[in-house]
Amino acid sequence: MDSWTLLLEGFATAMQPQYLLFAFFGVLVGTAVGVLPGIGPAMTVALLLPLTYTLDPTAALITFAGIYYGGMYGGSTTSILLNTPGESASIVTAIEGNKMAKLGRGAAALATAAIGSFVAGTIATIGLTLLAPVLAQFAVNLGPADYVALIVIAFVTVGALIGSSIPRGMTSLGVGLFLGLVGTDTLTAQQRYTLGLLPLSDGIDIVLVAVGLFAVGETLYIAARLRHGGVDVIPVSGGWRNWMTRDDWKRSWKPWLRGTAIGFPIGTIPAGGADVATFLSYAAERKLSRRKDQFGRGAIEGVAGPEAANNAAAAGVLVPLLTLGLPTTATAAIILVAFQAYGIQPGPQLFQNQPALVWALVASLYIGNVILIVLNLPLVGMWVKLLQIPRPYLYAGILLFAAFGAYALNFAIVDVLILTIIGVLGYFMRRYGYPVAPLVVGMILGPMGEEYLRKALQLSQGDLTTLVTQPFAATAYGVLALLVVGGLWLRRRQQRYEQALTESIAVPIKTDSEI
Amino acid sequence: MNAPSLGADGGRVEESRPASRVPLGELVFALLMLALGVFALTGVFTIHVPVGVKVGPTVFPIFVSVLLLGSAVAVLVAVLRGDRAEVEDGEDIDPDARTDWSTLAKIVGALVAHLLLIDVLGWAPAAAVLFGAVAWALGAARWWLAFVIGLGVGLVVQVVFGGLMGLSLPWGPALGWLGRMF
Repeated sequence: MDSWTLLLEGFATAMQPQYLLFAFFGVLVGTAVGVLPGIGPAMTVALLLPLTYTLDPTAALITFAGIYYGGMYGGSTTSILLNTPGESASIVTAIEGNKMAKLGRGAAALATAAIGSFVAGTIATIGLTLLAPVLAQFAVNLGPADYVALIVIAFVTVGALIGSSIPRGMTSLGVGLFLGLVGTDTLTAQQRYTLGLLPLSDGIDIVLVAVGLFAVGETLYIAARLRHGGVDVIPVSGGWRNWMTRDDWKRSWKPWLRGTAIGFPIGTIPAGGADVATFLSYAAERKLSRRKDQFGRGAIEGVAGPEAANNAAAAGVLVPLLTLGLPTTATAAIILVAFQAYGIQPGPQLFQNQPALVWALVASLYIGNVILIVLNLPLVGMWVKLLQIPRPYLYAGILLFAAFGAYALNFAIVDVLILTIIGVLGYFMRRYGYPVAPLVVGMILGPMGEEYLRKALQLSQGDLTTLVTQPFAATAYGVLALLVVGGLWLRRRQQRYEQALTESIAVPIKTDSEI
Repeated sequence: MNAPSLGADGGRVEESRPASRVPLGELVFALLMLALGVFALTGVFTIHVPVGVKVGPTVFPIFVSVLLLGSAVAVLVAVLRGDRAEVEDGEDIDPDARTDWSTLAKIVGALVAHLLLIDVLGWAPAAAVLFGAVAWALGAARWWLAFVIGLGVGLVVQVVFGGLMGLSLPWGPALGWLGRMF
């Protein structure tokens, strides 16, 4: 059967009323949680993991697809409407939307973000549909040494390119690999690093680590330096029907398409995730614009392009995840955890063994995108209300759900204890500038990498050269070198660019506050 | 935007954070990472390798230990040479505030109290304790309201996930009657 037929069958599954309901629910909850300030997409997905514990695999994955897209989108609403300028400078694109909102054009910013996300998400999902089967077909023939190469690529790019310091990123990766070692070795049944403690002999559950780092660690970090006082949300005026003027549309559609063209390929390669894509799109829009002076003061192109790039990258990330089983971002790593919780191992075999599931998931991505745009434009008023939740309650709620997720894993109190310890570790990592994403990726991919490494070495009778002499593996290491050099160069540029940008718009921010 | 209100509640703005001091915390954390590397490496020797296994359970741990040791040393060297952690700010973070250790201790304490109370009080009351204590630590206007909201949220979670969807959250002595209805 060709993938077209399979996709149609996937739609037939995903369009069933109960699955449609799950997709709707996933998008709604994903957006709602993603909108909450302080919660990024990775934390959204980690926090909502327990929701799927009781569902069947198809329903759970469809819900998750909705949560993923919703969480990705929800963040943009936060940065557009929350009045905390300056700090958001790390995400260069938040500036334009925030400025637009302050000029009373928040509705247009939200609309161009939503429609851009829809356009980009749909085109990128088409890209995923076309690319994934081809890649899976190719990947079926890869041997263990080739997989070792792919996993090394994921390790090095995630460790070196996420976060601001390479040694810190690699340390974080090392801690993740170490945590992945704790437990019983699957091949020889030997205990490793369990200290003789019974709860550790089954290993540390990755869900505890993901939720502990992203939810508990992040909450502790915010709690330590919480901004007290009222919440300052920029009001949105006007009905959602007349949000974008004809001129807005004219200025938006090209950035949407360009953002998609930038975001999707970047998402598929392990180059640092959606951040890089949004930055590149922003830089491109600024360069191409005939109204450069508007950038930094609320240019709609600066919202439309990066927002599209962000969503296109989110779909792109799913390509290596589904076809190779390789997560390239923290969010993808947690989605991989969700798969594994159902005994599903993403990778080339998935397309052969469980085509119905894969294609239902892909179909639900299309559906999720439609639901996203249908929900978002009319529901903005509700999202604004969510932004105003008093912070003490918000963070208490996050911790409550984190503790619930940990406890519901095995109904063991020791899991909540491990969650707390990991949370404290996450706090200090965050405080001292260690990115946490490499830890999560390392912990998930470590055991897989070890298995392939040992298989490869067993096949070669312990000869290490086997790891680099396979043609695919050798090529992969060459590509890795290029990725790292290219990625580091890009990041240096991004930092300089953001610094320059922050400096150039620092003045208007000041005059704003004086008025 | 928020600067005036901040200045009003205690003049924290004036105390600028000293940047050139010895970053004690950073050094200690990097040393801890180094210690973890040493622990991982020494732990390798305690792993039993079955006879006749060529590529055994110690190969990967050695690699991980070396990676940990190497990168921890690199961080230490960088910190000693003046490299400082670059931390990202978030929407709810006050860039001028100093670390509030007592709030952190209260929140961790709330988590520990929660996990100790699950079996004693049942899940929903323990959740109320967690929610209330965290909200109070973060400065909720009315602390008793936080406990009420926490109990409400806890009950909803308990009924939906424990009662309707069958997760075995303990009901506890006070809510046992409710649990028997499902």
